[in-house]
Amino acid sequence: MTFRPLLLALLLAVASAGAQAADLQSFGRGSWSKLRAAHDDQPTVVHFWGLTCAPCLVEMPEWGKLQAERPDMRLVMVAADPVPQDPARVSDMLARANLAKAENWAFADRFNERLRYEIDPDWPGELPRTMLIDRDGKETVLTGVADLGEVRAWLDAQKKR
Amino acid sequence: MRALLAFAAILLFAGPAAAQHQHGKPGAAAPEAFTATPAFGPDGTLWLVRAMADKIVVVRSSDLGKTFSEPVAVTPEPMNLDWGPDARARIVVDPKGGLVVTFAIFQDRNFNGRAFFARSNDNGASFSKPRPITADTTSQRFETAAVDPATGRVFAVWLDKRNVAKARAAGKPYPGAALAYAWEDGDAGFGPTSIALDNTCECCRLGVAFAGPGKPAVVFRNIFPGSIRDHGVITFKDEKTPGPVRRVSADDWKIEACPHHGPSIAILPDGSYHVAWFTAGSARKGLFYARADTGDTPFGAPRALSTSRRQPARPYLLANGTALHLVWKEFDGTRSTVRWQVSHDSGRTWSDPRTVADTSDASDHPLLVANAGRAYLSWLTKADGYRLIPLEDQP
Repeated sequence: MTFRPLLLALLLAVASAGAQAADLQSFGRGSWSKLRAAHDDQPTVVHFWGLTCAPCLVEMPEWGKLQAERPDMRLVMVAADPVPQDPARVSDMLARANLAKAENWAFADRFNERLRYEIDPDWPGELPRTMLIDRDGKETVLTGVADLGEVRAWLDAQKKR
Repeated sequence: MRALLAFAAILLFAGPAAAQHQHGKPGAAAPEAFTATPAFGPDGTLWLVRAMADKIVVVRSSDLGKTFSEPVAVTPEPMNLDWGPDARARIVVDPKGGLVVTFAIFQDRNFNGRAFFARSNDNGASFSKPRPITADTTSQRFETAAVDPATGRVFAVWLDKRNVAKARAAGKPYPGAALAYAWEDGDAGFGPTSIALDNTCECCRLGVAFAGPGKPAVVFRNIFPGSIRDHGVITFKDEKTPGPVRRVSADDWKIEACPHHGPSIAILPDGSYHVAWFTAGSARKGLFYARADTGDTPFGAPRALSTSRRQPARPYLLANGTALHLVWKEFDGTRSTVRWQVSHDSGRTWSDPRTVADTSDASDHPLLVANAGRAYLSWLTKADGYRLIPLEDQP
């Protein structure tokens, strides 16, 4: 991993001011394949949530806690609101859930059908949704609010392999 | 005429600007509504209401959508419009040619809404200052107006959260929202609000059709016991008496959220009911259609529209005489398409699905509208602007 002094300085500056702002990447057409390639051969948890999804907002802090508890987890958070949201508000929510340090993306294209199709043609768009991707690229989808016990067990199973 | 055309192109292509600056970091743009809703007047004028950024405008076309007039503002001041994926500004035309536009705004960051209406009695030259549909200020969304074809009276129905606030104050749980309604009281405004049903799903559009004079039928995503968010229909016995909930289908979709994906309803002259809807229940997943012989008989077996890998969505039904039209949206991996079927035997058999329009970028939900015996698809797309496409009546 490359070390980015500028980013670190920025994070420190923000941290000293209180909450840490999330570094948010714009999720558009083609982002999914780039994201997958970046995590190739690495067990990865991708959690899809939305600012307009009330149960997602309730669940988010639990993901923040899990990330703190399991530094071995590669966690990718994707804000998948069907109507793209104000990035400042998305970042704010991530910071409040202690997820500013996760790899964070937000849908930035109104062609929601296309983004969802690239991720999973069978996904009708409901949120929250969690995708567990193992070393071989095999996907396990958890629809709705995730059972984090299941996620922990999956993480343990990846270590043993 | 050329100037008018150019103007129409600007108007209709002026979608949300957010998509224009998506490189790298997401732009700082706020979410925006992107809808166009049609209605034909008694003289064959096509009226179109557009929700654009912070304003609502109405345009008219006397040549079936080829050219449009300059827009007339419905909202004199910028407003924080409801941009939810199933929300839309709507327009209805009464038998005298009067126009009623309805729309909602967000009151706060928690998506509490306020539903408004505005009227034009001068053939769309101007609109009254928008006024709330109801006096209660808690929250209203998904307001839907419909004109009773027998009496010409305007009926409005919406999802209302006043009883949520009451329950909370009493320390009681209250899932979802309430189905609220009011009738227009002369041209002055809407009369008192009544609650037809408590605990409906809170973020899905409603569908309205008329079963007879003073008898609107409303289809909505209900919350059945166990947080099952399946569909129900309520038919009014008269203007003030909503009937019981008739379940459309036991899809068994248990979800503690709202999918922002509402149903559609049509009633044919033979009295038969027709509903199309989206579900991800344990009993079935995808897009479905079902019919019932009358307002009292149970709905028949759901028929699946398309397959899940094509993301079938946003169904819309229209009764045009004895013809029953059905459209929905699909995605083939590159393009969104509108698929169309028609039935001439009360929804028992249907033509093979056919693609009647497609587009390469984001689009509004497909809608149907009829005039002078012809049915049309009405569809707003980002890449191709607004289109009014005549449908063949024969399969």
